[in-house]
Amino acid sequence: MRRDPGTGRFAPWLLLAPFLAVFLLFTIYPALSSVWLSTRQTFGPGVSVPVGLSNFTSLAHDPSFWTALRNTTVFALGSVFIQLPLSLLLAMLLNRPDIRGRAFFRVVLFSPVLVGVVFVAMLFSVLFEKRTGLVNRVLNGSVGWDLDFPWLDTYVMPALIVASLWQYVGFNMIYFLAALQNVPKELEEASMMDTNAAWKRFRHVTLPAIIPVGTFVVLLSIIGSFQLFELPYILMNGTGGPEDRGLTLVMYLYQTGFQTGDLGFASAIGWIMALVLIGCAVGQRVLSRRAERA
Amino acid sequence: MKPTPSTASSRPVAAALIGAIALISSALTLTLETPDQAGAKMWTFARLHHEIYAPAIKQWNASGKPPVSCSVLGIQAIEQRMLSSFLSRTTSAELLEVERRIAARAFAGPPEAIGFLDLTDRLKSEGLLDRINGPSFTPWTSRGRIYGLPHDVHPVMLGYRADIIEAAGIDVSTIETWDDFVRVLEPLLMNADGSRRSDRYLLNLWETHMDALEALVLQAGGGVIAESGLPMLDDPINARVLAQVAAWGHGKDPIAADAPYFNASGNQLLLDGFVLASFVPDWMCNLWRNEIPQLSGKVKLMPLPAWEPGGRRTSVWGGTMLGISREAANPDELWEFAKHLYLSPELSRRLFLEGDIISPVREFWNDPVYDQPDPFFMGQARGRLFVGLADDLPPRHNSPFGAMAVERLRAAASELARVADATPEALAPDLLPHASRLLAEAQADVMRHVRRNRFFNAELPRDGAE
Repeated sequence: MRRDPGTGRFAPWLLLAPFLAVFLLFTIYPALSSVWLSTRQTFGPGVSVPVGLSNFTSLAHDPSFWTALRNTTVFALGSVFIQLPLSLLLAMLLNRPDIRGRAFFRVVLFSPVLVGVVFVAMLFSVLFEKRTGLVNRVLNGSVGWDLDFPWLDTYVMPALIVASLWQYVGFNMIYFLAALQNVPKELEEASMMDTNAAWKRFRHVTLPAIIPVGTFVVLLSIIGSFQLFELPYILMNGTGGPEDRGLTLVMYLYQTGFQTGDLGFASAIGWIMALVLIGCAVGQRVLSRRAERA
Repeated sequence: MKPTPSTASSRPVAAALIGAIALISSALTLTLETPDQAGAKMWTFARLHHEIYAPAIKQWNASGKPPVSCSVLGIQAIEQRMLSSFLSRTTSAELLEVERRIAARAFAGPPEAIGFLDLTDRLKSEGLLDRINGPSFTPWTSRGRIYGLPHDVHPVMLGYRADIIEAAGIDVSTIETWDDFVRVLEPLLMNADGSRRSDRYLLNLWETHMDALEALVLQAGGGVIAESGLPMLDDPINARVLAQVAAWGHGKDPIAADAPYFNASGNQLLLDGFVLASFVPDWMCNLWRNEIPQLSGKVKLMPLPAWEPGGRRTSVWGGTMLGISREAANPDELWEFAKHLYLSPELSRRLFLEGDIISPVREFWNDPVYDQPDPFFMGQARGRLFVGLADDLPPRHNSPFGAMAVERLRAAASELARVADATPEALAPDLLPHASRLLAEAQADVMRHVRRNRFFNAELPRDGAE
């Protein structure tokens, strides 16, 4: 059968058309539209006036925005530098064949992921209560900790990091566990012949093998951290908490866009956030390429 | 991979199973579809209100007038759906019973974009501005126009552990001012281990108690929003109140502590007698009755101590209104319905008996229902106590920046608490300059947002605003 050259030329586009239509309508159009919106002040979609770049200049002088950015960055750093090393450590422990009940511990550590974020927030709001909360009570009983320690008044970000640690440490552990199980056995055996030092074997054999997964998990963690919303929203009763200590970028975006109706200002926040994340992704790519070359 | 005979034979069964599940779930979805309710829709956030309104709505619908159906939605659901419909100029529900912070969100745009129907002329022409308690209108007023029919008054009193206080031979009727309150009750402060932290405090008040802080500044004659709709955080009265609150909680010889409102931990601390007195608006009596029944027969109410002799003995906390959507097709009928609901003496009685809420309609205040002794409050005529204060309520103006202003007030109070913690011997006058500075910063911050909003501040008087 002879193929019609015209049909052949259009066939790929025809097959791509459903995807392209959805992509253009629901991704490209809203993205471009939000660029336009970020140069306007709005009260919902019906009322808007052009304001040029003043949304961005207002953001630069907005203490709440900087507080939200700082809080979100602290949370992201907590995720990357506390949560991920702990996940890796747990993964290495549960990857050891001599540990009994490995499957049981994997399930136990993974199970908090199955709990809804809203429930986690409510649970930790009770745990972190002053005087009656379990955390202060246990610490008071064991090390004489202050019963009135104000977790949810003054130490909101540490409280959020702990809550998130409880929920996601097992989830990230699964990624690392999968990566560890793919480290070639022959390499590990050969390294054991070279040195008895566990740290050296980890540094020169295990780590290079799991770096691709590691960088992916780091990026995923940063993106997830910058999307932080439900946990502080529920924990702080829909506010940023005392002195905005629990305010995150997405919460601030939500407050401005959906509670005061200024979609323009919210779009500006969204674009700043997108630029930060693009910067992180590019940085991660550059670093991982360097690591691959090395 | 070539399929094994067993997998190949199971394929039609699996396909049939998937098909059957799809068919059954589709059929179920169709049968579960909620039928459209006829007539106008009303949304309320309180199940109790819904129950109280049910007979009145039934009566309205039976009278042959255009029917109304009432649904209960979560506060946040109402907020989102109301704002979405207002911003897109469509109708979600024709009648919206909303709390004051939510209503204020609708006031952020230009007046012509406010989604609620302007009720000012109707209220004036029908004499309702005189029949209903004046301060109850202020939260629903934006740029001089009124957008809601008030549901309540919500005076604030002090609920105290009479079992402990009276057992110590203390007569609270001798308390007139906050200074008296501290002086008279001070002997009850309890500190078993001699540490800085006591085991019993006089007052449930903390820098994080946003509503209580606002109630206190309003009582003192300050506030967060001026009549113009602009913030007034830097008012010297606010600074004085904040300095006193910080000194009570963190200064020399603290008398106030944190028993959080609306949670089990706070309730337990009230039960334990960790704090002896707590702020109680009328609606909170209902909360105490249902959530801390063990307090029954142990607590009494007293007017708030004044900030100076002869000063105001109450404040206000909370507030609800019934608004009509501007896009509603039949506003006149909906207005009649709103009056049928909110101006009914029978409903007002039920609102008090079942919800502990005082009606804002002044002529109902003579109802003997308010004179009934309440065993929960050791036989006090709770209704009469609240009604007696309703006339003296401070005006509480509203603005889309109100929530932000209250939040900034709380932030200033938190920062002042840190200053007080760093200088434990500090008294209120020592903290006053810090309070003034922090509130001036807070004011500047909120004003920056107000100025940025080109829709809201265009028509506002600017003189003396900052």
